[in-house]
Amino acid sequence: MGKKELKVAFLLALRSLQRGSRSSVILTILIIGMCFTNMIFLPGLFNGIGQSITKQVVDYEVGNVLVSPKSGDQYVSDLDATLDLINGMPGVERATPHFTKGATLKYRQRILGVSVRGISPNDEKYVSPLYTKMIAGSYLGQDDTGEVIIGKPVAGDASIRQEDEYQSSLGGVRVGDSITIDYGNGYVKDYRVKGIYYTGWSSADSAVYVSYTDMALADPKAVDNADYITVKAKPGYSETFIKNELIQYGVSQKVQTTADLLSKMMGQALQSFAIINMVSLIVGIIITTVVLFIVITIKTINSRRQIGILKAIGVDKEVIMHNYGFQVIIMAVLGIIFGLVITLSMAAYLAANPIVTPEWSATLYLTPMDLIINSLILFAASIVAGYVPAYQVSREDIQSAMRA
Amino acid sequence: MIGITDLQKIYRMGDVEVRALDGVTLDIAKGEFLGIMGASGSGKTTLLHMLGLLDEPTSGKIIIDGTDISTLNDYEKTMFRLYKLGYVFQDYALVPDLTVRENVTLPAMLRKDLTEGQYRDACTDILTKIGMLDRQDHLPRELSGGQQQRVSIARAIVNKPDILFADEPCANLDTENSRMVLDLFREINEEMKQTIVMVSHEDWHKDYFHRIIRLRDGKVTSDGINDRNAH
Repeated sequence: MGKKELKVAFLLALRSLQRGSRSSVILTILIIGMCFTNMIFLPGLFNGIGQSITKQVVDYEVGNVLVSPKSGDQYVSDLDATLDLINGMPGVERATPHFTKGATLKYRQRILGVSVRGISPNDEKYVSPLYTKMIAGSYLGQDDTGEVIIGKPVAGDASIRQEDEYQSSLGGVRVGDSITIDYGNGYVKDYRVKGIYYTGWSSADSAVYVSYTDMALADPKAVDNADYITVKAKPGYSETFIKNELIQYGVSQKVQTTADLLSKMMGQALQSFAIINMVSLIVGIIITTVVLFIVITIKTINSRRQIGILKAIGVDKEVIMHNYGFQVIIMAVLGIIFGLVITLSMAAYLAANPIVTPEWSATLYLTPMDLIINSLILFAASIVAGYVPAYQVSREDIQSAMRA
Repeated sequence: MIGITDLQKIYRMGDVEVRALDGVTLDIAKGEFLGIMGASGSGKTTLLHMLGLLDEPTSGKIIIDGTDISTLNDYEKTMFRLYKLGYVFQDYALVPDLTVRENVTLPAMLRKDLTEGQYRDACTDILTKIGMLDRQDHLPRELSGGQQQRVSIARAIVNKPDILFADEPCANLDTENSRMVLDLFREINEEMKQTIVMVSHEDWHKDYFHRIIRLRDGKVTSDGINDRNAH
């Protein structure tokens, strides 16, 4: 098959698409575009949800690496020394302790059970973007005592009646109000609400934060202990590198990366997502393959006499086959481009208007590799679907074709 | 030029055997304008298809320009048709999505020995010759039957084939257009010394032929020189 033959095949293909039935060409391109969108949208959305959850877990729960008590221990002990050790390691941006206690909040007539998280506010800034999520008031100071920041759902809305609330709240706490925290161990203290935040991550928004200094007053065990330490990696350092480094340098606690934790927390969900993605991919490929197969089969059946004539005047069967092959390639490329336009438009729309649930928020997560791989898969399926009927008809003998 | 020996073509329809060609033997000389005539079903189109390498004989031998065509494989037959044979069909058989120029150029584009400039020039020359240059960008459906048949002839001769086959090229044309097409064949035959084998059932067409063979039931019943146009 030489250059001249390919040129003739391409000319025949192009003219057939330009001057043949435009409605069938446009319909085919639309179907390929929709199949491409179908193939990439759902997996992209699931990936977006996964990425969003991962980011929020990293940001508000565990950082890049979580140091928790080793088996049999209740706390990470010898806290200052452990923090000094971790913070001195290359690749560690900052390590910060967390001490959490269940407590009851009281505000006017409202009572609400929450988690109170004791944090080191300045160090926390390096690990979590919580301080950027204040919607009223301000973030905690390092040695603040008697002050608390609370999530928006905890603060509540004064305009909503208690029986109408989706989630129990304190019924409209504002910055500067005083709330009482009962730690259940006999320690009860009034706090001034210093700020109200909203992260979009349910677990963080349903909690309240006090300084580690305050937590140590509420529970003396917090003085040199922590429930866990969250570690933020410097850019360019992998979680696994940090984990191995911590273990190598003698951190005797349990060390886990975010990936380790997520595989335990979300392993089944991710498996389910993968199955749905695969089903979506296979359905898209099958629909595209069948549609193109039917389109090219109808085209070839309707053109059998013309195919016979072309062979009679000396056009080789390979040229005839590639004529239909090129038609499929052109329609597949246009369909994929159309699908890319739809998908990227939806990605842009969802980036501006994320899908928000009470638990998490998500956008469409697409990587260039996703787009390339799906394009290639669809392209390959299209070629198979187009070339099979083209191959069959191009092998037909001239007499049979011309009698059609 | 063409040697045909004991050519047979038998079609089987269930238990019935139809002898479309029954032992045809003849020679066709170079530059001859041969008419194959006969009633419908006499085997003239079948013979033309055998000679044009569009169908396989059941038995017998066809030698064209020294080549025994039974020895050619599928690809070689295609190339033989491209380089050595031209074909004009009863219903013009133009590619509907190609313009006049594209239809005419198509076979020449596939020739490995022609540059783009050469086949463009050849196409322009032929379109000028058949008086269709001003309609070169039209699609077949925008032309009359006579014009389409002229384009079909132009496509058949663009590669300057040794032999031109025409299968009842005037069957769908009125007398005036038929005469125009036949005049064109005569001109091609005389100027380009091309061998032409044409099938016809119109008696008045014989005036154009050098030689006429008549078929009946797949057999040659007469083979004679047309004295008026003797080659």
